[in-house]
Amino acid sequence: MSTTTLPAQFAELEQWVADWARPTRQERYDMRLSKKYDQLEEFYDAIAPRAEEAIDYLNGRDLTDLADDDARLLQLLYSMILVSYAVNVFMQPRIPDSGAAFFNTTAEPAV
Amino acid sequence: MTELQQRLATGKGKFTPLYEDLDTGPVSYEDSISPEFFEAEREAVFKRSWLYVGRSERLPRPGTFFTRELKGLASIVVSRRKDGVVNAFHNVCAHRGNKVVWQEHPQEESKGSCREFACKYHGWRYGLDGRVTHVTNEEEFFGLDKDSLRMPPVHCEEFAGFIFVNLAPDPVPLRTYLGDRLLELEAYPFGEMTQHYGFSAPIRGNWKLAVDSVCEWYHPPYVHARFIDKDIAKAEKMVPPPDSYHYDLFTPHMLTSVPGPPPLPPREPGTAGPAARDQKWVYRLFRAGLFGPDDVPDIGPLPEFLNAGNIKSWGNDQFWLFPNLSVQIWARGFYITYTYWPEAVDKHTYDIDLYFVPPKNAQERLAQELIVDSTIEFAMQDVNTIEATQQGLSTRANRQFHLSDQELLIRKFHKTVRDTVAAHGARDAKEG
Repeated sequence: MSTTTLPAQFAELEQWVADWARPTRQERYDMRLSKKYDQLEEFYDAIAPRAEEAIDYLNGRDLTDLADDDARLLQLLYSMILVSYAVNVFMQPRIPDSGAAFFNTTAEPAV
Repeated sequence: MTELQQRLATGKGKFTPLYEDLDTGPVSYEDSISPEFFEAEREAVFKRSWLYVGRSERLPRPGTFFTRELKGLASIVVSRRKDGVVNAFHNVCAHRGNKVVWQEHPQEESKGSCREFACKYHGWRYGLDGRVTHVTNEEEFFGLDKDSLRMPPVHCEEFAGFIFVNLAPDPVPLRTYLGDRLLELEAYPFGEMTQHYGFSAPIRGNWKLAVDSVCEWYHPPYVHARFIDKDIAKAEKMVPPPDSYHYDLFTPHMLTSVPGPPPLPPREPGTAGPAARDQKWVYRLFRAGLFGPDDVPDIGPLPEFLNAGNIKSWGNDQFWLFPNLSVQIWARGFYITYTYWPEAVDKHTYDIDLYFVPPKNAQERLAQELIVDSTIEFAMQDVNTIEATQQGLSTRANRQFHLSDQELLIRKFHKTVRDTVAAHGARDAKEG
């Protein structure tokens, strides 16, 4: 019986799935804003060393017909991109001086 | 001058004095804070210009439709008829004026597919062309001329897959309005870029101030400093010199072309290097940046109308379609539209839509995700700056402001709006 919801070779990333394997950008962004800065660093530092391997693994899959496990891995990479600005550029979850500004998502790809 | 600046410099000198209808003096921004001007602008500009409402891909088959809420102007339905033609009409029932097409919340936009539209109030029905097809209890009315009953038509035309409407009774044809220079856009393969991301932001600032914010290129070291370099002095040196940009003003529309960094070179998988807390490493890993993907999709040879200024390291062309649409064609095979919808003198909605060639694999998909996220992170910073500008202007503590040569397009854009309002006012006075 499977104990991970990710492809087997990425099982060690399982602890990040509940928060960060989310299907919409809005959910991922809300998660970023809900976290403390050091939690974002922890997530980034966990995913980044496996990212190139994950990209290579997913490149071998059909993007239009991804298994659920593969889709979760892809979503972790989407979250890593979103979190990378907070960790590498802003050093905080929010964009500095962005005040009450927000963007609603009106269209995004299904996968 | 840095090496980058030397490489891109052209020695062309100043641009603004080349345009005889533009002066170089200080300007008033009363057009962005006066409620009276806002009302006049709505009549002269927005009720009489061709307005972009959506891409043709939103109407893939006969019977597909979407609604647009053009606040303060109209609620319209855009549909594809059985004969394939796209048309538009006001979203108003001929019976008692109810809004016909909506789902769940009357104030929100909707979309879908149907054979007919049915009014939710008393069940009157309308065809895909807006003509009435059914009147409930028809025999109880008095001398109805059923053939003339319809949801009022709105002028609607398609160009290069962009659907425009015009609320004026008798507008010039869309192609005449666009003019030769913009008609060249038709050669670009917009239709291949169906991977779509859309975003919408409410902004407490005049819509023209938002247009201004992307018509010059020396705010990035300040507004977006951390993306470039935490040390502002270093960030300033990363910005290309003023003469490396290309401008063209073909009133009422305009164009600006921008240089950009070259794509990263090809990289073998597994060679991104050790993970680092460094955004340059993230860009290398995902093979993309703000200016696009490193692996540029094959969309055929670029049409000749692009990069008319022969910028050495061309990044994008921004075509400004008067009054409120920017079509940004990027050198690396994708495009973005900006649309600005005024709601009050100090309030508007800003839409950003990004379009890519559908990705073939995860690498391409992730590169697109990074481009989208970068665009929005930058845009969030711009949005807040616009609100701060509105607040500063509206105090009227200052009434004269200063535009440099790099702000040529801003000077021109405000003049075009003011001239359009003045011409309409003069016509009204003459006719009145």
